[in-house]
Amino acid sequence: MVIEAICEVEMRYSFLVLILALFAAPVFAGAAEGGEQFLRTHCASCHDLNGPAPQTIRQLWKRDAPDLFYAGNKYRREWLVEWLQKPVRIRPAGVNYLRHINSTPPKDQKKKAGRQYDVLWGEVLKPLKHVRLDRKKAEMVADVLMSMVPNYALTANEKLDTSKKVTLDDGEVLIDKVHGCLSCHQIEPGYGGYTGAELYTAGKRLQPAYMLSYIRHPKQWDPKIWMPGYPKMPEEDLQKIVNYLILLAKEDFNASN
Amino acid sequence: MHPINLILMGFFFLGFTCSLHAEEAYLNYKTYCMQCHGMHGKGDGVNVPAMNVLPRDHSDNKYMMTRTNTEIYKAIKFGGPAVNKSVKMPAWEDTFTEEEIQQLVGHIRTLCCEQELVRGVNFR
Repeated sequence: MVIEAICEVEMRYSFLVLILALFAAPVFAGAAEGGEQFLRTHCASCHDLNGPAPQTIRQLWKRDAPDLFYAGNKYRREWLVEWLQKPVRIRPAGVNYLRHINSTPPKDQKKKAGRQYDVLWGEVLKPLKHVRLDRKKAEMVADVLMSMVPNYALTANEKLDTSKKVTLDDGEVLIDKVHGCLSCHQIEPGYGGYTGAELYTAGKRLQPAYMLSYIRHPKQWDPKIWMPGYPKMPEEDLQKIVNYLILLAKEDFNASN
Repeated sequence: MHPINLILMGFFFLGFTCSLHAEEAYLNYKTYCMQCHGMHGKGDGVNVPAMNVLPRDHSDNKYMMTRTNTEIYKAIKFGGPAVNKSVKMPAWEDTFTEEEIQQLVGHIRTLCCEQELVRGVNFR
């Protein structure tokens, strides 16, 4: 009887503590942690912040947003700060294109030489839905993202050779005719394939070392990603392509429209 | 156990393993090949309108019957240039294992040449 009574009191007490903890915890944590806390509460529901990248196709199909656990190896900080204030879509077919391609579309399908093709549909046809941050918060989140560098070993030995100069025309030949990147990637808005990330912003979005490493061995970053690796690409071509992407990103693509 | 039961069980496991392999190749095809060769392998993928060389229509029985399994295998593993085709077909060497490529060849044969498969044609 006595023991039961004690138990009851204890339970009530623990319940109280629990309630207190629930209310008090976010306040304290928010004040102390800032950017990291923001990432955990606002980003973790879609983005993977802990890794590892999907290991099977079925896991890959469940991915909602780009993995951020190696963000510090991948992005340029200036770009992150800018993008977080003004988020736009980077991959025309979405991060998970299996959700956005339709094979039996209605009449509005694209035609080329009288043939019909699969089309994009659903969410990717609307503007991107993403949290929009003010400058102060964006810088705070970018700082935290840039500190996440688990794949340092992959980029450590990559170095951009800026002496491999390339013109816009030569670069386009490399991208289109020599290595065929244009089938999936766009080098200006609306020119190129849909399933890859846009290349005309890659130069300001990504670190050169990341581009060098990723083009050669994308599977080291993301084991099941649909980009094929180019381990046999000549070193000179690779350097030229990355130099071209950096040059391309300096173009103003909003000038004409 | 009665011998007939054993035989039936054998058939069951045979069927089971076959369907498992077919699904893996199907998943691979739907994930990687579909971007250009289309959901049903008709060479009508979502990327095609922007391309200057059209991807192969895998349901084109007439053309696909002129290709050997070795050629299809090479095209997947080493890319288009390995079989005198376009660079638009990249090498998938680092994406698929040996076994997965062989299963994909089999999957492509089911898309193009189901009747010949049933008849037992040797694709070499």
